[in-house]
Amino acid sequence: MLRASEICERAGFPTSSLVCEGFLGQAAATSVGLGMPNMPVATIVGHPGAQSNEEIRKFAAEVTAREVIENLLVQPEEIVFGEEPGERDIVFTGSFEEVNEHFIQMEWSDGLPIVPPTLEKIEKFLSFTPRNPEETLGIVLPSSRAVTIWSVAVNGVMAGCRPEYMPVLVALAEAMCDPVYGVEHSGNTPGAETLIILNGPIIKQLKFNYEQGVLRDGFQANTSVGRFWRLALRNMAGFLPHKTDKGTFGNTFRVVLAENEDALAAIGWPSNAADMGFATGDNTVTITRLTGGDVMPSVTGSTPERMMPYIADGVAKETGWEIAFTTGGLTHGTLRPVLVLSPILAETIAKAGWTKRHVKQYLYDHARMPAWRAEEFAEKWTEFKIVSLQHQYNIGNLSKDFAESDDPQRMVPIVCDPDDFMVLVSGDPLRTNAQAFAHNGYLGFPVAKRIALPGDWDERVGG
Amino acid sequence: MATHSGSDGQYAVVWPSGERRLKVRPLARRLDTLNGKKVAQLWDYLFAGDEVFTALEAEIAKTYPGIEWVSWREFGSTHGVNEKEVLASLPARFKEMGVDAAISCMAC
Repeated sequence: MLRASEICERAGFPTSSLVCEGFLGQAAATSVGLGMPNMPVATIVGHPGAQSNEEIRKFAAEVTAREVIENLLVQPEEIVFGEEPGERDIVFTGSFEEVNEHFIQMEWSDGLPIVPPTLEKIEKFLSFTPRNPEETLGIVLPSSRAVTIWSVAVNGVMAGCRPEYMPVLVALAEAMCDPVYGVEHSGNTPGAETLIILNGPIIKQLKFNYEQGVLRDGFQANTSVGRFWRLALRNMAGFLPHKTDKGTFGNTFRVVLAENEDALAAIGWPSNAADMGFATGDNTVTITRLTGGDVMPSVTGSTPERMMPYIADGVAKETGWEIAFTTGGLTHGTLRPVLVLSPILAETIAKAGWTKRHVKQYLYDHARMPAWRAEEFAEKWTEFKIVSLQHQYNIGNLSKDFAESDDPQRMVPIVCDPDDFMVLVSGDPLRTNAQAFAHNGYLGFPVAKRIALPGDWDERVGG
Repeated sequence: MATHSGSDGQYAVVWPSGERRLKVRPLARRLDTLNGKKVAQLWDYLFAGDEVFTALEAEIAKTYPGIEWVSWREFGSTHGVNEKEVLASLPARFKEMGVDAAISCMAC
């Protein structure tokens, strides 16, 4: 864990960081972002997750120990950073194809053609924000680079966004810089991918799709803003596959999910913006980092009592190892599973008098897993140790709902509170399908930001 | 005359990254020996850090029998939800404990 070593080194304590063999490249790149490119590391041979205790001890004794001694006793040579371009410096001139080839070579592209970020195009994006292009929104790991209004515009151009998307992009960059989200974890091995949720009148003004195929590419606003996020992770935060991004498999970027606010208004449910602390009708972006995702097709029934068992089953089965974000293996209570209801499902549930809170309470009561399974994830299948659910209850980390008996078949919640579920309404208005996602806990915790519009927005984009 | 904005087929482009806001910082001075030194063990509680530390204690003691260890149990996970607070507390805790150096794991 190099972040710990960096703090120790800065305070005058020499360190040795133990790094698995497959992560030495990530360690080298991360050290640069920590301002200590010569930070010494010692090798862990192979990966302990696939070794017996005897093998782990043997490799540590034969290889790691010698390197640890050297790390602590031999002063590493100093390294100096090379010069870098200024934000407005022209770094390359060429044809469309040549620019794209250069960006691929420099690892600034995701592999698809980018729109060349010329000064002229960038200025058009900047005209949609009153903020100073040099304004720093934050400094993010692993690159320790400044996230500026300017760099947001550059990556927006590259992603194929329209200039008027700029207010959305700025809000996303602000969310990226919020420490509660934890962008520094975006290169971890599960490879979870961010979902961007959009709320407010801006959905229609910018022609975001919020109906059929909402999570499918094919709609410029949803797709290009989703692509912007992945380019921003690469170029602004510094996540590069085979280096700082160690997603074992990874995922492609997710396109933006815009909520159907007409449907929400018709049934009187609060929007996600309201759930995140804003007012229904506010323009907001929310980011949350999700694992997996699956559909529950053809939900059947005319009452919540008929429909919800299937929906709760779908929500529950998405969460597996992620239970460690609830039960203490990784944290307590940071899991935020997502349920997306199509409008017709939400309307049918609401017609029976159910609020969104009722849905969340139902999920808390019924989207559960057997206690034995929650404990196996922690104690046997991974190393996210909790001893037992009963133990976590005894020391005050979990509620009685997790320890109602000692029956291993008892069903326990997958979250600590009904409000930990995020319930969204979007997708095909007249199809009875739902979608569920699991969540990556505090390593991508939900964060929402208000979208600030320029003063002449109504004249230029329309009210 | 080239406009470098694409109308002549040529594009003059900027780079997409922001300014690195961190200068290279010096590492701590290394120790002259491990004998008589106190070394802290930091672990993020992922994978077999406990086994690794057990093996390191035995192996390093063969060359430096005077080394002292402060167990990872003293510090808790360095990668939990309170990571920032735990890490920020380390320098002060090291001074209290008389720690001279640290081993941090597990990057995997």
